[in-house]
Amino acid sequence: MGGITGNRYAIGLVLLAMVALLGVPALHNDYLTLTFRNILMFAAMSYGWNMIGGYTGYVSFGNVVFFGMGAYCSAVLSGHGIDNLLVAVLLAMVVCATFAVIVGIPVLRLRGHYFGIATLGVSLAVADLVNNLDVLGGSSGLVLKQADQAHFWIYYYAMWLVTIGCILGTYAIARSKLGYAFVAIRENEGAAQVLGISPTRYKVTAWALGAMMAGAAGAVYAPANGFIDPSITFAVDNNVFPIVMAILGGMGTVAGPFIGALLLAGVNEILQQKFLQAHTLFFGTIIVLVIIFLPRGLMYLIGLRGGARRWFSDLRAFRV
Amino acid sequence: MQLFYQDLVNGILAGGILAVVALGFSLVWGIMNIINLAHGAFIMLGGYIAWEFFTRFHVDPFLSVPIAFVIMFGFGYVLQRGLINRVVRAPVLATFLLTFGLSLLIQNIALIVWTSDTRAVTPTYSGANFTIHDVTIPWAKVATLAAALLITLFMYLWLQRSKMGRAIRATSMDVGAAQMVGVRVAHIYGVTFGIGAGLAGAAGALLSLSYSLNPSMGEPFLIRVFVVCVLGGLGSVEGALIGGLAYGIVASFASNIDFTLYGQHVSGTGLQDVVALLVLLAVLIVRPTGLAGRATA
Repeated sequence: MGGITGNRYAIGLVLLAMVALLGVPALHNDYLTLTFRNILMFAAMSYGWNMIGGYTGYVSFGNVVFFGMGAYCSAVLSGHGIDNLLVAVLLAMVVCATFAVIVGIPVLRLRGHYFGIATLGVSLAVADLVNNLDVLGGSSGLVLKQADQAHFWIYYYAMWLVTIGCILGTYAIARSKLGYAFVAIRENEGAAQVLGISPTRYKVTAWALGAMMAGAAGAVYAPANGFIDPSITFAVDNNVFPIVMAILGGMGTVAGPFIGALLLAGVNEILQQKFLQAHTLFFGTIIVLVIIFLPRGLMYLIGLRGGARRWFSDLRAFRV
Repeated sequence: MQLFYQDLVNGILAGGILAVVALGFSLVWGIMNIINLAHGAFIMLGGYIAWEFFTRFHVDPFLSVPIAFVIMFGFGYVLQRGLINRVVRAPVLATFLLTFGLSLLIQNIALIVWTSDTRAVTPTYSGANFTIHDVTIPWAKVATLAAALLITLFMYLWLQRSKMGRAIRATSMDVGAAQMVGVRVAHIYGVTFGIGAGLAGAAGALLSLSYSLNPSMGEPFLIRVFVVCVLGGLGSVEGALIGGLAYGIVASFASNIDFTLYGQHVSGTGLQDVVALLVLLAVLIVRPTGLAGRATA
């Protein structure tokens, strides 16, 4: 399927799509700009999850914590009169990486379900904590100073830059020694250790790299949205969408998260337009269908040799 | 001292019901290695079953407990055989996300059927309480605790003594070996998931007495049952009971935390779950497979 970075043509397509997305603000359609900025944001978060969940195979269920921290970094800076996006993104990346290292050292010793639960616990605890801290606005949230209408496109391009950074970063990391160490841990942690790869060090590195990606997305999201509170930043959607996107597009590939984000966020947007009330219902259905029919992602389907018969026999392997 | 006893009693009363909530989750996790994120939605359905029977036919919520168990058992069995069984051997993530998707689905259907209005089950005795040494104890909660203990005891005996219970335990120990001696694993998985759902339904019916019902009422329980399972160990009835009581008591005492730090007022009522999660993290760091966990996870 194209080795450690995944299908080459898919990566080319993703880069082409990214170039095309540069033109969106030129259409002067606020709705489209917002929609595609959202897609870019989810793509960046999905790349963040892909580092730890896709490459090292450690299924994190709490990566929303980094998105939220990034958003709050931006908001706190704005509260101090600093409304520079670059400063906010850099601060968010430093804060998220530091937090990821501190929490990762104990938590990444856990495996499987226990790791998933511990990360979920961390994200819930941080959300609860923010909810109860007055300096961070508590449950009523924080308001950020925004660029004026004429310069609003800046948030779109900032999110674009974050996303392209995630794509190129993932590509570079995957091809480096780091990427091979991550995959070695995913395939067989014991064997990797025997080969001299320190699992803890590399797992923490992967988690911190992913944290920086999600944090950067959060730091741009907060001023773009103009307002944040715990319920919208630490929302379940922000936690689970990026995971489903990575699975749908292909975990542990460079193109996967973007493709997944484009498809899922796009479909979700259309559903939200058509059925405001019931769109979560459809979204639940989509998750169920993806897991039942495409548990190995779209990339698997593209690379499939042997047609529907092979597909269904592969699916049957998961049954009892 | 009076506050201490009141907290202790509140903790035990809350912990008993939490044990039933966690029991079904723990069985499904321990036996099938599935983290059922739809467990909260099942609890909610149990609550609404009790509410429907109460408002339509004036059935006492305690009588609705077995009804909710039976209905939810059937629902869980069908769900497992029809959907979840298809990915039961896929990597962890598949069942995690599948049950998450299911919980979204169920919650949104509930939202359409029952709307987001909060509902309450209020039998005549719901406000009654008694007092021992200044410690106030509501009758409904005592009865709930008694029912919870009965269910737990019944489950324990059933798993230990019955043929089906032995088959379930055998499957959890070694699927291949169980298959070889004639256990129909797919059926056993269906029954296990059904019991998990049934216990969630029963717990929901019990909770309807002391909690108001709404379609997302099950969510906060999800993280609590995680903590309970990790504290008590997976797939064991006594573990769920011990973990439930431990959680109930810790959370009850945590709700009294109240101090001011650097001008920040910190109150325990909003931080009950934070304290519980910190306990969870501490336990996992010291013992990565839980307090009562086995060597292999």
